[in-house]
Amino acid sequence: MTATSEPAELLSAYRPLSGSYDEMVGGDGRIRDHWAGLGRTLDEFGLDEINDRRRQVQRLLDDDGVTYNVRARPGGRAQRWDLDPVPVLLSSNEWAGIERGAIQRAELLNLVLVDLYGPRDLLRRRLLPPEVVYSHPGFLRPCDQIRLPGSQQLVICAFDLARDSEGRCWVLADRTQAPSGAGYALENRVVISRVFPSLYRDAQVHRLAPFFRALRASLVAVAPPTATDPRVVVLTPGSRSETAFEHAFLASYLGYPLVEGNDLTVRDGRLWLRSLGQLQPVDVVLRRVDTWFCDPLELRPESHLGVPGLVEACRRGTVSVVNTLGSGVLENPALLAFLPKLAEALLGQDLHLPSVPTWWCGDPTSRQHVLAHLDQLVIKPVDRSVGSGPTVGWDLPSAQLDDLRRRIEARPHAWVGQTPLALASAPTLSTHGLDARRTVLRAFLVARGESYMAMPGGLTRVSPTSDGIVISNQTGAVSKDTWVLASEPEPPNSYWLRSGPAVAAVEPAASMSSRAAENLLWLGRYAERAEDLVRLVRVINDRRNEFEHGSNPAGTACVRVLLASLTHMTATYPGFVGDGAGDRLEAPAEELRSLLLDEERPGSLAHAGRHLLDCAHAVRDQLSVDTWVVIGVLSHELLDLGAQQLEGQNAVQAKLSRVMQGLLALSGLVGESMVRDPGWRFLDAGRRIERGMQLASFLGANLDQRRGLATDSLLFESALTATESIITYRRRYRSQAQLETVLDLLLLDPENPRSLAYQVDALTADVRDFPVQVASGRFSEVEKHTLATSTALRLVDTAALATPAADGSYAALRAFFSEMSHGLARTADAIQDAHFMTQVPQRAMLTPADPGAARALHLLLG
Amino acid sequence: MTNPTVSYEVVHSTRYTYESEVSASFGQVHLMPRDLPGQECRASAVRIEPEPADYRERTDFFGNRAAYFSIRQPHTRLTVTSTSRVEVDRPVSRPPGPAWEQVRERLAAAATDGELDARQFVLESPLVSVSAAVERYAAPSFGPDRPLLEVAADLSARIHAGFSYRPGSTSVTTGLDEVIEGAQGVCQDFAQLAVGCFRSRGLAARYVSGYLETRPPPGRPRRQGADVSHAWASVFVPEEGWVDFDPTNDTFVGDRYVVTAWGRDYSDVPPLKGVIFTEGTGHELEVTVDVVPLNDTP
Repeated sequence: MTATSEPAELLSAYRPLSGSYDEMVGGDGRIRDHWAGLGRTLDEFGLDEINDRRRQVQRLLDDDGVTYNVRARPGGRAQRWDLDPVPVLLSSNEWAGIERGAIQRAELLNLVLVDLYGPRDLLRRRLLPPEVVYSHPGFLRPCDQIRLPGSQQLVICAFDLARDSEGRCWVLADRTQAPSGAGYALENRVVISRVFPSLYRDAQVHRLAPFFRALRASLVAVAPPTATDPRVVVLTPGSRSETAFEHAFLASYLGYPLVEGNDLTVRDGRLWLRSLGQLQPVDVVLRRVDTWFCDPLELRPESHLGVPGLVEACRRGTVSVVNTLGSGVLENPALLAFLPKLAEALLGQDLHLPSVPTWWCGDPTSRQHVLAHLDQLVIKPVDRSVGSGPTVGWDLPSAQLDDLRRRIEARPHAWVGQTPLALASAPTLSTHGLDARRTVLRAFLVARGESYMAMPGGLTRVSPTSDGIVISNQTGAVSKDTWVLASEPEPPNSYWLRSGPAVAAVEPAASMSSRAAENLLWLGRYAERAEDLVRLVRVINDRRNEFEHGSNPAGTACVRVLLASLTHMTATYPGFVGDGAGDRLEAPAEELRSLLLDEERPGSLAHAGRHLLDCAHAVRDQLSVDTWVVIGVLSHELLDLGAQQLEGQNAVQAKLSRVMQGLLALSGLVGESMVRDPGWRFLDAGRRIERGMQLASFLGANLDQRRGLATDSLLFESALTATESIITYRRRYRSQAQLETVLDLLLLDPENPRSLAYQVDALTADVRDFPVQVASGRFSEVEKHTLATSTALRLVDTAALATPAADGSYAALRAFFSEMSHGLARTADAIQDAHFMTQVPQRAMLTPADPGAARALHLLLG
Repeated sequence: MTNPTVSYEVVHSTRYTYESEVSASFGQVHLMPRDLPGQECRASAVRIEPEPADYRERTDFFGNRAAYFSIRQPHTRLTVTSTSRVEVDRPVSRPPGPAWEQVRERLAAAATDGELDARQFVLESPLVSVSAAVERYAAPSFGPDRPLLEVAADLSARIHAGFSYRPGSTSVTTGLDEVIEGAQGVCQDFAQLAVGCFRSRGLAARYVSGYLETRPPPGRPRRQGADVSHAWASVFVPEEGWVDFDPTNDTFVGDRYVVTAWGRDYSDVPPLKGVIFTEGTGHELEVTVDVVPLNDTP
């Protein structure tokens, strides 16, 4: 919409929700003091400018590839992380109160956790009914008595905070399993401070970096005492998890390898990372996998996200998992009803930050209260993994209310009732101005010393509608940056740069998992596959345009050969060579379209694109920040391929150009921004293998026999164009093309980055830098294959290859291309065998279906 | 009144023969008898072939003896044999206990630590859901003011009479509703059904895993491997403690039973469970149990 708003209109048009607290506007209708600066700026900007900044926010988020729910559903799309440009402000006084309460709460929950997996005195002292603990699915008996070094078992936790109509803060829920959001909060800060640089600078906002430094410090502090230089990994369920972006972002921000369960193994009672070179010990695991998936031996047998034996390793104290296994027991709404008593008993204090009033139905008096007020309360199951979320009593028709009542009466200890809170509102940008939307703040705490440190601010989430009361990322919440305003400039006392002796660098091969290396290799292969396909299809389309009407027999023949070589190169048979090829050659449009757009078809551009993106997501922590700018563009171009109605040649050519730009940018970045560590070597090796194989199969099909001067010259020219060598060739040989010189340039020229020799040389250099364990002076299996291919290539006589047999076919040339292809394929296999895990499937050891072998019926009568 | 002490040697052997090579195995066993009033384990050893790279014994959450092992060498056959010597001396008869309603009240009040501790066994567990069908099945045994152990004896008799013992009719994950519906199962199903019936009335009951000495029919020699790995139920009686009964054989548990482990249900104490890494899915499994009386004079 076209906004013609006058300055000052934005703020004066803002209407807080009636009956609830508003972050910006006080009960008297005036802007709160600590919002004055931001309010002024917003008015100065006006709606147009702020909308412009919002677009900047979105662009920055796209550039960084910030997503939520990355294709969690098969075929689903990554959802862009949604960030409102207007931050929420908290004054330094107000924050001090919240911080004090949150730190006390973290200390209290930690003591409860220590007790529940230790002496369980809280039960014996009747401070907690056993049902609250023992019926909660987060209480995991195999994790009993596991103890991290130090006093804190709860290293990181989060609390969801809401304000009532008076502005008082209440805790809605505790997150202690593997809380998500801290990384998103940091990303929000990075983006907003770039979009509002002067506003951010002037506002004196408390920085977030110290929180993450404290996280690093506490991860090191909980390492087993035997670890002198603790190795930390971040365990993720994988690139398809909802918060995969955050896992990779945190891992690279903290500087720890991002690993999946398969990358780890337990041997000799301790945990190891299957890294490129060998097994590397792991001392600390920051887990983003829920406990019950962490060990198929002792927890969920069907889990493929964990490591068999991990619980045993923790029990022996050889590895520290953070948060400690079983910490989900604290994510228990029933516990809220007991916290005041527990605070008094364990800390001798009142709870500074109260929980939302909660009645646990396992207690008869509380149950009566809940059942009597069912239509006024929020009803929650104690186990939030059961799928049914909170039920809002006043929304239910009476039949459902009766049903709920019966379910509560049948299993009272499984339910709680909570007083609903109105939830405060905060100004949020909509298309026409600032809207009041309800908010919840997730505050984060991390262990520091004997106590905790709070992230100043946290992650504010906003209801997507003005009346929403349940706020969850799953239902599409918007987030906000949260600024805690310092009363005075923050002393710059925490630097990344440190003094003191230099710290030993981590050997790169040691910190990279085999899985990461494999994904990098395939990233290289898919990128090259996509690139080669685009180049060839562009050449084919040009030739088709040129010889559209079939009036030039040589041109028609050339197009047919090119189409056939496209089928050979992409191995998409029958295509233009097998059954039904005749019809397809007459009308190739549909087959070409399928080769570009059909994601399910191996060999197609869409298929390569999808796999390229999957590989990139799987090694997200290994790629530079700029890479995500390119990946973002590529995602946009590639993921939409299938959905597009590319009508007409021009639209197709334009689309291919954009895809090509993205692919070129990717290879440029790989060339310029990646350190030449083993990871880069694998990526490059993938590219070289693929380019060499594609070249061999394309040329093998294209130059298979003599077809007469007219057709051959068109074909040679096409081959040189598709291989990006036409200009060099013309400059070098000036005359018309000849097969022998074409072969010199495309096969043997070590200076031509498109030649086979160049690929083999580069591959030889790459594999020489792979981590190997062979005696010096010997060749590894991989090197033997590259050496064989390289030698065969060097010994070849192009004049002989260019001499046709009696029947006009280039039989020797075909055989040679086939030999090259096989040599490269064998190299790829050897790399697979030597460096990647061949993952043997994990299965449960089946137990006897029938434990009682025979009934001892008559035998007992004796 | 007690019988003279009986000694047994228990040999429990499990052998997997895999269709294709297994590159690594991780396992956990609950195979060693525990010490408890009326039972003393004099010696026990678990032998695993191939030789595990790692083996460690521990006490689990319920106080049972458990062990962890991992095998790193490729293998196509895995044998786990546990051998133990146990002395058993259990009371054979006991008072019928207080009325079940009183027991329920005492559990709710939990004046003693024992009662408080028992309350975890009132709750449902992974394999014991207290459904409407379980509640209905339990009803006839819970007459008003009936002494708790009379209830146990009645349940035991009803299950024994009303269900067919049919190996293979159920699996380790079969739910109680299906067991009731089919009126068939194996010892583990009957034990879990009895446990569920008590829990449906707010009483504490647990699942017990162990062995039962069988005797050959008169005039026949003992057959090796004819004994069984067995399971039964246990109910909490205030003052008295836990009282075990065996619905599969309709009897209270006496000197011919050896206890290895207890838990909420089978899932807490399978004798052997594990994770293997292999391409193949096929395997053969052979289990033999021998409970040999050492001072037996039948």
